[in-house]
Amino acid sequence: MTEFLPPPPATASPPQPAAQPSPEQLAPDGIFPPEGFRGLSAKGLSRSFGSVHAVVDMELLAPAGQVTALIGPNGAGKTTLLLMLASLLAPDTGSISVMGIDPVKDPTVARAKIGWMPDTLGVWESLTVREILTTMGHFYHLPKAGIPGRVEELLTLVSLSPLADQKARVLSRGQQQRLSLARALIHDPEVLLLDEPASGLDPGSRVALRRILRNLAAHGKVVVVSSHVLAELDEIADGAVFVNQGRTVLAQTVAQAADQGRRYCIAALDPAALAEALGNLGVEFSHGTVRAESVLVTVGSEVGAAKLLQDLMAAGVAVHDFGPATGALEETYMSMGVEQP
Amino acid sequence: MTTTETTPSAPGLDTVPGQSNKFRRYMNGISAVMGMELRQRLRSRGWYIMLSIWFVLIGLVAVLTWVSWQAQTNRTDFSYVPPDQLVEGPGPLIFEAVLAFVLFFGLLVAPAFSANAISGDRSAGTLAIMQVTLLRPGQLLWGKFLASWIAALAFLVVSVPFLVFGIIQGGLGVGYIFIALLMLAAELGVVCALGVGISALANRPLFSIVVTYLVVALLSFGTLIAFGLGALLSNGTVLANQTYYKEIVYAPAPNGEVEGEDSQYYPVTPNKADITDENNEYACYGPLVENQTTRTERVAWLLAMNPFVVVADAIPYPSHSAQEQSYYGSGVFESISQGARYSQAGPNATFQCANGKIAPQYLEQDKPLWPLGLGLQLLVTAGILGLAWRALRTPAGKLAKGTRIA
Repeated sequence: MTEFLPPPPATASPPQPAAQPSPEQLAPDGIFPPEGFRGLSAKGLSRSFGSVHAVVDMELLAPAGQVTALIGPNGAGKTTLLLMLASLLAPDTGSISVMGIDPVKDPTVARAKIGWMPDTLGVWESLTVREILTTMGHFYHLPKAGIPGRVEELLTLVSLSPLADQKARVLSRGQQQRLSLARALIHDPEVLLLDEPASGLDPGSRVALRRILRNLAAHGKVVVVSSHVLAELDEIADGAVFVNQGRTVLAQTVAQAADQGRRYCIAALDPAALAEALGNLGVEFSHGTVRAESVLVTVGSEVGAAKLLQDLMAAGVAVHDFGPATGALEETYMSMGVEQP
Repeated sequence: MTTTETTPSAPGLDTVPGQSNKFRRYMNGISAVMGMELRQRLRSRGWYIMLSIWFVLIGLVAVLTWVSWQAQTNRTDFSYVPPDQLVEGPGPLIFEAVLAFVLFFGLLVAPAFSANAISGDRSAGTLAIMQVTLLRPGQLLWGKFLASWIAALAFLVVSVPFLVFGIIQGGLGVGYIFIALLMLAAELGVVCALGVGISALANRPLFSIVVTYLVVALLSFGTLIAFGLGALLSNGTVLANQTYYKEIVYAPAPNGEVEGEDSQYYPVTPNKADITDENNEYACYGPLVENQTTRTERVAWLLAMNPFVVVADAIPYPSHSAQEQSYYGSGVFESISQGARYSQAGPNATFQCANGKIAPQYLEQDKPLWPLGLGLQLLVTAGILGLAWRALRTPAGKLAKGTRIA
C-alpha cells in the first residue's frame, strides 16, 4: 500500500483542465485577465545556437506585482530564456513584451525597465562594492547627485554596508551574490530577472532575499526567478512556469492555474479510516510521496478545503494534519518526468 | 495577448533625452566606462611592474647609446675626420635610439593593455552586465579604448626624460620631441584601438592578445615583406636618357674614340646641345629611351603603413640644402623616411635622368608619406572597430561558436 505511489493526477503534464476555475488560488493579489495584462510576457520563443536548440517553444506570463518562478532542470533553457527577456539575446522566433515594450525593437527603453541578475557572478574584482554600484548607476545614466544615496540604500537592503569599501574579490560567494542583486536593482527596474539568485546564500540571506523579492512584488514589480531550489520557490512565488528541453511544459500562471486545483496533504491517526471516509465522500486521493501515512487530495478552492475538513471531522476521522501539500512545485517538477540530457 | 501600456519610467530614468542631452549622456557613459577601466588598471600590480621594467630598459638604451658615442668620438680623434665635421653631438643618436626603442617596446606593450579589454570582461562574465545597462556598444568601445590608450601613454611619459636627455645632448630642437611624442602617441593609439576591436571579436583573452600581436607584427614586418614582394611584381618602364658623370675621368683612347664593343662603357663627353639637365656632378643628355625599372610607387602604400615609417616620416628634419654634400649626416629615422619617400616618388622622380631631369639626391619635406600611412592604419582600425561594434550589439543575433553571452 505504501509502496504504491501513483503520479499526482492533477499536476501531471500536460495540465488537465479541471472543472472549477479558481484564479485566486495562485494569484492571491487578484485576477489578471490576459487582455488587461500588465507585466512581462513572451510567446512562441525559440532560439538555437548552431545545431543546439536551447529554446524551442516557450511561453511566459509574469504579471506585475507577482513573483513568477521559472523551474526546470539544468539545460532546460532557463538561462537562454532569461537572456532573451533581458534583451541580451535576440529570439529566432516569437515575441517579448516588457511592460508593453519590445526589447528586440527598442532595447534602450526596455533596458531602463529591466534589472538582470546573471547566474554567473561576474564582479569587477579590483573595484570596491560601493564603486561597482556607483559605476552601475552611471551606466544607467542615473542623475549624479542621487547615486550615492541610492547606493547606500541598496547596501543596506542587501546588508553589505559593512563591506562597502572592500574590494569585490574578498567577498564570499554569497556576498557577491547579494552584490549582484543590488547591482540589478540600482535603477529601480520594473522587471527583475533573477537567474539562480539563491545559490550560495546562507539561510539568513535566503530569508532576506525572499523578503526583498516579496517586497518588490508588493510594490508592483514583475519578478521572475529561476531556480531549482524548489522549497524556496514555494514560499516566494505566486506562479510558476515549468520548462524542459526548451519548451514550456506547464505554466501555473494565473490563467492556467485557474484550471487546476490545489493539492492538500491530509494525515490521520488511522489512515484506514481516513481512506474510507474519503472514499465515502467521493474524493479521489493518492498517497503522498513525502510522508507515507499521509494522503494527497485535490481540492478546487480554499472553500472546498474547508468543506472537506469539516466533512472529515463530521465523519469522525482523527485528522492531525491538514494543509496545502508542501513542496507542491517540487512534486510538479518531479512529475514532469524530467530527463537529464 | 498583451496590450501596450505606457508606464512611468523609474525615477531619474529619462529614456527620451534631448539632442544636446543625448550627446552629454553619451560622453558620460564613455567616461564611466573609462573611469572604471582605469581604476582597475591602476590597481593592478602588473602595470607598475611593466612601467618600471620599461623605465630601466629605455634608460639602458639611452646610456648605452651615449657610452658608445663617447667611445666612437675618442677613436675618431685619431682619425682623419676633423672633430668639427663630426655630427653635432650625441643628441640625435640618443634621441633616435630612444625613439626607436620606445616605439618598438610600445608596439609590444600596447596590445597587452588593449587586447583583453573586452574579451577579458567576456570571460569574467562582466561584459553582459555592462551590455544590459543603457550603455551603447560605441560607448563601451570608446571607453575601453581611451582607458587602454591612457595606460599606454603612461609609458611614453616615463620615457620623456630620456628623450629630453637626447635633446640636452644637443643637435635637436624641442619641436622634435613634441612631434615625435605626438606620432608615438598616435601609433600607440592605433595599436590600442586595434587591440580593443580584436578583443571584442574574440571569445578568449589569450586569442585576442595573440591576434593583436600578429597584427602588430604584420604592420611592422609584414608591410616590409609585402612591399618587397610587391615591388618584384611591379616591373615597369621609365623614359630616361643617358647620364654623364662629370667627375669620372675616362681613359681616352689615343684617337679620342673608343672602338669596338667597349664603346658603350666609355661614354663620350656629350655635346652641349644634347644635355637636357645638369648639375655640378653629372649631366643628362641624349634622346629619351625606355628603361626597365621597378615602379615602387605602386606598392609604397604598404611601406607607408609601417609604424616606424609613419613616425620617422612625420618628424621634420632640418633642410639639407645647406649641407648638401654630407649625404651621410642623416640618422636612421631620416634614412627610413627618405627611403620610403623614394619608393613613394617612384622612378619618375628618382630614376637618374628620368624624362631628362636630374634626380634629386634628397627629397624635400614637402611630400610627406605619413598621412597616407596613418590614414591607411586608421582605415583598417576603423574597419575592425566597426566589426567590433556589430559584435557588441544586443540583443545579439548570431553568436560565434562556443560563445556564451553570460
